[in-house]
Amino acid sequence: MTERKIELEVLRYRPEQDAEPWFQTYTVPCPEEWVVLDALNYVKDEIDRTLSYRWSCHMFVCGSCGMVIDGEPKLACKAFLRDYGDKIRVEPLANFPIERDLVIVMDDFMEKLESVKPYLIPKEEKSLDEGSYLQTPAQLKAYKQYSMCINCMLCYSACPQYGLAPEFIGPAALALAHRYNMDSRDVGRKAREDTVASHEGIWECSFVGACSEVCPKSVDPAGAIQQVKFSSAIDYFTSWLPGGGSR
Amino acid sequence: MSRKPYQRELPKTTWFLRHARYKKYMLHEISAIAVAVYLLILIVGLFRLAQGPDAWAGWLAFVTSPLGLVIHLIVFGLSLVHTTAWFKAVPQAMRIQRGEQFVPGPTIVGAHYVVWAAVSVFVLILAGVA
Repeated sequence: MTERKIELEVLRYRPEQDAEPWFQTYTVPCPEEWVVLDALNYVKDEIDRTLSYRWSCHMFVCGSCGMVIDGEPKLACKAFLRDYGDKIRVEPLANFPIERDLVIVMDDFMEKLESVKPYLIPKEEKSLDEGSYLQTPAQLKAYKQYSMCINCMLCYSACPQYGLAPEFIGPAALALAHRYNMDSRDVGRKAREDTVASHEGIWECSFVGACSEVCPKSVDPAGAIQQVKFSSAIDYFTSWLPGGGSR
Repeated sequence: MSRKPYQRELPKTTWFLRHARYKKYMLHEISAIAVAVYLLILIVGLFRLAQGPDAWAGWLAFVTSPLGLVIHLIVFGLSLVHTTAWFKAVPQAMRIQRGEQFVPGPTIVGAHYVVWAAVSVFVLILAGVA
């Protein structure tokens, strides 16, 4: 029996020789259990060792192999060849500059992630001797979904708002800010507010919802952002009430 | 080795043609305009009513004319698009936690449809239709 073969159209960009990206087609085998990442590894090992892409765990935990597969942001390790036709188009994540082939420049994302202070800001610092900050299962549940992000950036690739307005802090970073705001051990909401509840923050989001549709971990960043909009709007209106603070 | 990152731009006006989900988004955004236009028509109706029986009859003739009927059908269709799109999104924005569980999304959406139906029936009764 002859093994089924498919064509992989991969966007190539080699900065030292290409003025702009172009598609290179590779013919690869298509075993039932292979994902797009396996096909790329086959290309790298057997056909063309100059092809560059990021990957690490091969089990959708590390978030390294995000790319656009047939127009859809996907983890290459979670996209089975059997679910596609005889021709699969593989491109780097949209809305990011291309460093080389399928590798994008993620500096902007890293800066935005850092800007929302994505760490616990406790009311009082405890020494190790005083033990840990306790939390009930219900308190954990309140933010757990938003803590599942693996920073794969599929949401940034899917978000047209980020593509059109690059200053937008974006889905994953805002969802992470929400994750800490919702944490019973955290009091950092005010400290994050200037970044999060700003024009470049939640208010740049027009709720296209694409981020949540492509998220491989069902984090629902779009939902998180709408919830922050709601609490931020409440903050704004209560600030006009007597004793509601200055604005 | 020097770097030379390549920046691909998102086309400013045609970006939404790139994916079905963006077209769907544009449709439910645009549906808001239909709702706004219909509100304007109703407000004009109020003004015509204040201007007297002749003005009111003219406005009434317009909204019940074939063109008026077509406008109603388009606005009704787009209003349905608008309403169902936002009802579907409610559970994302409104999470209700009870202990360690969240109220299921379909329950929240269902409650919205129940209220919508109840309000519609109430309005129809007020209008003397039902």
